[in-house]
Amino acid sequence: MTLKVTVDRKPEGVAVIYTEGYINNQGGEEIARVAFDLIGDGHKVLLLNLEGTKIVNSIGISILIEIIEKMLEIEGKLAFCNLTPTIEKTFHIMGLTQYAAIHADEVSAVAEMAGR
Amino acid sequence: MTGTAAASTAALAGYLELAAGGEADRKLAQSLLDGLGRQTGARAAAAYLKEDGTLVRELSTGAGSFPYRIAEDEASRFERRPMAGGELLLDGGTIQEERDTPVLLALAAAVRALVLEKKLKRQRFEVNYRGVELEALYDVGLAIASTLNLEQLSEEILLRAVSLLDARRGALYAADRDGGYRLSRILGGEARQRLAPDDPQVAALLQGRTPPAPQDLMPGAEHLLAVAIEVDGDPRGLLVVGDKESRRGVGPFGASDRRTLSLFANQAAIALENANLHRQALEKERLLREIELAAEIQRRLLPARLPRVEGVELSGWNRSARHVGGDYYDVLELPGGRLAPLVADVSGKGMPAALMVSTLYSALHLLLDGREPGPDLVERLNGHIFQSSAPNKFITLLVTDVHPVSGEVRYVNAGHNPGIVLRAGGEVEELPPGGMPLGFFRDGRYTGGELALAPGDLLCLFSDGITEAAAADDEEFGAGRLVDLLRRSAELPLPEIIEIVDGEVTRFADGAPQADDQTLVLVRKR
Repeated sequence: MTLKVTVDRKPEGVAVIYTEGYINNQGGEEIARVAFDLIGDGHKVLLLNLEGTKIVNSIGISILIEIIEKMLEIEGKLAFCNLTPTIEKTFHIMGLTQYAAIHADEVSAVAEMAGR
Repeated sequence: MTGTAAASTAALAGYLELAAGGEADRKLAQSLLDGLGRQTGARAAAAYLKEDGTLVRELSTGAGSFPYRIAEDEASRFERRPMAGGELLLDGGTIQEERDTPVLLALAAAVRALVLEKKLKRQRFEVNYRGVELEALYDVGLAIASTLNLEQLSEEILLRAVSLLDARRGALYAADRDGGYRLSRILGGEARQRLAPDDPQVAALLQGRTPPAPQDLMPGAEHLLAVAIEVDGDPRGLLVVGDKESRRGVGPFGASDRRTLSLFANQAAIALENANLHRQALEKERLLREIELAAEIQRRLLPARLPRVEGVELSGWNRSARHVGGDYYDVLELPGGRLAPLVADVSGKGMPAALMVSTLYSALHLLLDGREPGPDLVERLNGHIFQSSAPNKFITLLVTDVHPVSGEVRYVNAGHNPGIVLRAGGEVEELPPGGMPLGFFRDGRYTGGELALAPGDLLCLFSDGITEAAAADDEEFGAGRLVDLLRRSAELPLPEIIEIVDGEVTRFADGAPQADDQTLVLVRKR
């Protein structure tokens, strides 16, 4: 199962990364590649919309943590939205939510991250 | 102390101050590496940490780029210095022991700190992930208790198992009736639709081994782990995961993975059993509703009231042994004021017999259509029943053609127990069979009989559920007892006679369950 990743650069300055599929080793690396490319292009506010993802494993989480660390390093902002209850609970237990906010939906997330 | 050595010492002091100030170990190590690179004149330098047996780049400095992971033979092309938990690689430049030793020592310490920090981070990650595992098992338990949606539960269990075992793929199979397994859900690719019970690949899986050709079961898979889903030792399914992931790729599953997968299989077993019991209960409820509907339909096939005509009194009664029955009676009105009292009995009981009753009812009404219910009609009825019934199904029928005023009676008995005529003087005559039950032979032939009812004579048509009603010692009620009852009550109103027969038969059975449908039709000439 290959993870499909797409990006929408919002006019509000938030780059939204959409995922569809399993966030595992391959999926996580694909997200990291896209995220690091965006960072390289100067994007410092990233939103991961996981509406199309129902499953994530520990390798995928460790890669997401690396992306969060990178965002901290560049003093950027990363958030998640549209998480399944299972994934949201997993992120809480794994401590991701200490450094990355979780939003119910994309509209509220973009508004919050754009400072509106 | 040389100038260079003094500069190194100052730099070291600065780095130490940096570290003491609480700056990250990583920044300290990076500064040391930058300094060392400049000091040695190297084009580039990198600090690698050992991870899962390979070297992974942690820091680099200078021009050119060292690969993220480096193989042993590739690393040998560079100047190498071992450090606790890693290696320093230099591209060009020269290490002078006297000059560079302090920085090398400081760098080694900083790298060691990075290694420990990473180890701590990994341990914290693993501890947290144990929490995720426990939560997952708890959640699956809650889901099982709160829903009976098997599809939803199956998906939940497979998702959790694949996720927690870091598997790349997974499949859930349900046991089929032939001892094999049928694919129920799949995650992360494709899997074989059915696993045959005698397949050596399946045997290997159930023994906890990856089968010789895992890609035959799951295309693309290299390592498989499976556990059986069992309820009280009966196989109900198979939970399979494929290819354990790490940052380096995929590998086999370990013993702890097997234990975790077994926990999910146990949960799946409970879910499957609960859902199965629930489905059975729903099915039973549905069947009951259908049977009640069928009983209602059958009740409507029986006459709500019998014709009221000059010359004869009429009464009929029926009680099924089950919700629906295989007995049928009617008193049809024929042209010329004649009547056709009849009783039929389908072999067997319950729903199949009830369906045959419907067939008989329809055929009889269609074929009769103003005709005489004589041998010709019964032969055509037989042909129809033969065509539309199963080989082991047949119907006995006693149909009469009564002229209420004259008392003239013609009848055809197709394998039914003989009807009884109790004369007003107490004598008994029978209406014997004139052919085989309907549906026995395609071209059954029937002969009829005739008799005449005088005032006070009682014609009794009945099914064998009355005469064969048995007591606990298997003694049957018998036609003799029925005749005696009719004699004793012959002058009572017909509904009372029926009540008496019903009461006596029930008393005779002495609590034994009613084994067959019971039907009684009485015709008395006024």
